[in-house]
Amino acid sequence: MFRFSPMSPRLAASFLLATLAIAGCKGLDDAKTTGPADIGGTLVITTAADAGTLLPPLIASITDRQVTDLLYDRLADIGDNLNTIGDKGFKPQLAEKWEWAPDSLSIAFHLNPKARWHDGQPVRASDVRFSVRLIKDPAMASNAAPLVANVDSVSVRDSLTAVAFFKRHTPEEFYDLVYQVVIVPEHILGNTPAAKLRDSEVGRRGIGSGRFRLAKWEPGARIELVSDTANYRGRAKLDRVIYSIAPDFNGAVTRFFSGDADLFENMRPEQIARFATDTARRLLRYPTLQYTFLDMNLRDPKAPSQPHPVFGDRTVRRALTMATDRRAMLKNAFDSLGQRLYGPFPHAMPVADTTLAQLPYDTAHAKALLDSAGWLPGSDGVRVKNGRRLAFSISLPSSSAARKQYATLLQDAFRRVGAAVTLDLSDFATYSSRQATHTFDTEIDNFATDPGVSGFKQNWSTAGMGKDGANYGSYSNPVVDAMLDSAIAAFDPARTRAYARHAFETMIEDAPAIWLYEPPTVMGLSKRVHTTTLRADGYWSDLADWWIPASERNARDRIGLRPTP
Amino acid sequence: MLGAVVLVALFAPLLAPYDPNLQLDIAHLQSQSPSFAHPFGTDTFSRDVLSRVIFGTRVSLTVALVAVSISATFGTLVGATAGYVGGAIDAVLMRFVDAAFSVPALLLLIVVIALWGQISVVTLTLLLAAVGWFTVSRLVRAEALAVRDADFVVAARALGASGWRILVRHVLPNAMGPAIVSATLSIGNVILLEAGLSYLGIGVRPPTPSWGNIIEEGATRVSDVWWLTLFPGLAILVTVFATNALGDALRDALDPRQLLSAHDDVPIT
Amino acid sequence: MRRYLAARLLQSLGVVALVTTFAFVMLHLAPGDPIAVSLARPNIPESVRQQWREAYGLDKPVGEQYVRWIANAARGDLGYSFSYRRPVRDVFADAVPNTLVLSGLGLLLSFAIGIGVGLAQAERPGSRRDRWLGRVLLVLYSVPDFWLALVILILFAYRLPLFPPGGMTDPVMYEYLSPGAKLLDRLRHLVLPVVTLALLTAAGVARFQRGALLAVLPSDWMRTALAKGLSWRAAVGRHAFRNALLPTITLVGLSVPAFATGAIFVEKVFSWPGMGLVVVNAIAARDYPLVTAGVMVMSVLVAACALLADLAVAVADPRVRLG
Repeated sequence: MFRFSPMSPRLAASFLLATLAIAGCKGLDDAKTTGPADIGGTLVITTAADAGTLLPPLIASITDRQVTDLLYDRLADIGDNLNTIGDKGFKPQLAEKWEWAPDSLSIAFHLNPKARWHDGQPVRASDVRFSVRLIKDPAMASNAAPLVANVDSVSVRDSLTAVAFFKRHTPEEFYDLVYQVVIVPEHILGNTPAAKLRDSEVGRRGIGSGRFRLAKWEPGARIELVSDTANYRGRAKLDRVIYSIAPDFNGAVTRFFSGDADLFENMRPEQIARFATDTARRLLRYPTLQYTFLDMNLRDPKAPSQPHPVFGDRTVRRALTMATDRRAMLKNAFDSLGQRLYGPFPHAMPVADTTLAQLPYDTAHAKALLDSAGWLPGSDGVRVKNGRRLAFSISLPSSSAARKQYATLLQDAFRRVGAAVTLDLSDFATYSSRQATHTFDTEIDNFATDPGVSGFKQNWSTAGMGKDGANYGSYSNPVVDAMLDSAIAAFDPARTRAYARHAFETMIEDAPAIWLYEPPTVMGLSKRVHTTTLRADGYWSDLADWWIPASERNARDRIGLRPTP
Repeated sequence: MLGAVVLVALFAPLLAPYDPNLQLDIAHLQSQSPSFAHPFGTDTFSRDVLSRVIFGTRVSLTVALVAVSISATFGTLVGATAGYVGGAIDAVLMRFVDAAFSVPALLLLIVVIALWGQISVVTLTLLLAAVGWFTVSRLVRAEALAVRDADFVVAARALGASGWRILVRHVLPNAMGPAIVSATLSIGNVILLEAGLSYLGIGVRPPTPSWGNIIEEGATRVSDVWWLTLFPGLAILVTVFATNALGDALRDALDPRQLLSAHDDVPIT
Repeated sequence: MRRYLAARLLQSLGVVALVTTFAFVMLHLAPGDPIAVSLARPNIPESVRQQWREAYGLDKPVGEQYVRWIANAARGDLGYSFSYRRPVRDVFADAVPNTLVLSGLGLLLSFAIGIGVGLAQAERPGSRRDRWLGRVLLVLYSVPDFWLALVILILFAYRLPLFPPGGMTDPVMYEYLSPGAKLLDRLRHLVLPVVTLALLTAAGVARFQRGALLAVLPSDWMRTALAKGLSWRAAVGRHAFRNALLPTITLVGLSVPAFATGAIFVEKVFSWPGMGLVVVNAIAARDYPLVTAGVMVMSVLVAACALLADLAVAVADPRVRLG
């Protein structure tokens, strides 16, 4: 059904627009040498939400993303330091090497001749061309299309050489192509029109070239991946990875603690105490680039050319920000796991600056500001200006427990300064259609940023107000626009940081949103499972190298010794 | 017992130790297990659960009583008309009632509410009334059919009484007993239905507390914050038990024909 | 008998048609269409959305869509589910058997408990046993469906992890179990939802059964049987019980909608992948084809059960044949 996971992966759709990360992060146990004896075993990951699709251009949820990342490869993978400028740090995947043209407007990728699709067919340059075309095809309606706008086309030089052409030379052109475009098989998908792929059977087969291949997908129950033993990059150490789909958050927690699963990635504060006495399981914090905020609509939902009667006024936005005790809210919602948010950026980003001056929590000041803005207390305690009550709604998806918690906390905080707030909980689809059509007063949104600064432009600049953007609140400030553009164009990281800092400062003062929290990302993991690097763009990026020592296997690991059904 | 529940609803502001929507201290008093200061504990927003359950009584009971009054009145009118007038009107109305009986009302309500967006308490009450009049109309129709050809009605007709007058003076009084019993028994059902809808997140909207939405707010934490599930659930149980017991007693008093009245036991949903 | 059958069948069809039409019209009048919702992202041009609407025929007037939908449904094509990305028929082919298993076992257990308790009460009406059982039944009768399911879930799946908290089979190991262990696994998953469903409905059955028995007990042949020296139990077993069973069979038909309501909550709380769960999920996802067809299938199931119960009564009771 449809409910109550802490952060239902479905609601991740909006922040998957641009997921990438910055700081690589080591797991608790750094890789010790592993031998042949450590090959094998089954990792069971429990999650509260099934995948919706296994077609990389269509992924919309975290589960979609995880499973497709394991099944498919890219031309090259981002390095552990998550650098996005040039090709520094990128590791070969399907492309074993590449050459830049002198004008940097094209790059020739030489494919690994040993690379095979899971059905045995070789990976060809035409697959690369097909993959780029597919993601850019309007009929495909891919979330990632705007992110590859700078990729002009791909031509096939020979069956193992694909040449990519770019419209402009930008710092992140290489990253745009190799990271955003997952390579998919033309011989499997090419015979179905793009508009039909979303619902087609071929889209569910998951035939990629990654180190895991799909054994079985039982919707609502499990997704079983097995090691692709003949893979050109070497077989995965684990025999199989099973996504065990639990009905809801509690179901997933139960499966984890009962030993029916090895990994659950959304631990909440109330579960933390159980780990203190647990000898078989441990907690592992992993980095992500998500942040959550109350987005205010600066335009009137009923007359988009007019400013919003409440939030069009900067003073009111600042007053509402000052009315919220964000530290107490963080403690309430996440206890010791809470991570403060300082602006429109998670703290793990290179451009993050946690020293920026914040608007203080000060209800007296907030009330004074509202008075000065002409919103005066009415007879029922709700403020009134020119006959309009200070009443508005908060839109949010009912599937997110953390956002629901915050919505009710905010409702009470705003009530204390004289605002009447209704909560508008809806299913995720309705919620996102409200976002897209700008028909909300305020909404609680969750973004995952791009490690580069181009993601900010999509979310917070005047350009982002267009159809390709995600600036749902229509915030527009020429200073911010100019600073973000300068930051994106800079090839020098120090200058990028300086420009971004200026933009952030301006935004905190303008208060187009109330910066609420970074969702805590703590997984529970069986101690028998040994991890490698946990990257901020996805802790699963090196899952094929995780292992379970032979001495620590249990009955579940032995199912790998049977042939796949 | 029912009287006690009604008293709680009437004097909610006096009985509740706190404002049901007041977040006492979100950083320190959230999710407190039951204690002397908070006999039913506090919820994840540090609100006093006892106060919320007490105010929830008001909301849940009002919704149920108003919905049942409307549906009983409407059902009586439809049933009496169908039974007394008979013919095509009777056939059409009763086929409609048959159709309505064969679908879980819950399903229809979910379809209407979930797809038409969030609704006010008034609309919710009207919708609950709209799906609740079928049993009453059927019972009243049966009574009306029975008295239509009774001697005193035939006599009244012969004396030139108008159809309307016969309906009001003779048919309705005879049908009142079953109608009242059925209405009383359906109060419990409406409370359950409202609680179920609120539990699904499409009934009474927070922060207004209703028993169902208090349980819904605790649904993500059933394994550790169990008091959010237990106490409002007990409140529903006690109240529905009380109305059903009253309904049983009324039935025994008004209608000694056990077999016939046993049909009232068919759970109406 | 044949006329009765035909009339009754026609009536059932009418009911199904009425309900289905209602659902279809409600859904299509509701704000927001599935394409606007599932392709809401602003980077998707309106032309693409229009293309999709045309592909699914959503650009046509409601009346035309309705006629086409009926025509397709008659051929067994119930449309395409947007949220499951599968034909609706396939989704139901998986879900209906699950619901039938759960409801069938629940119904059996419910009537077994209900009739047993009803008998125990009717043996000595007004006795202490009768009164106490009556109170217990009234409590069960008054308990909210979802709440009882939640309490049972908390107690026997979370606090005392005796049974799995949901689903039909072990999500990981089931594939790899021996046939015997597979059956055991299925049974373990059935226990909590079936017991919950049975408890929710047994009270109504028992109350009804007691009333029905008490109504026939004072009859002449019962007195005769007792006078002949038959024990109470034997007399009831031979005579009264059979007579009292008639209204009980009727009750099966009448209680099916209530039963379906209970099943919706039980499926939801225990994540049982049946019709109730599918339809409730589909409503959240605004999956119109699935909701419409789901409402139709559920009303067909309910109407079919009611029809079967009526026929059973007609077969068993000569008086009804006149109808």
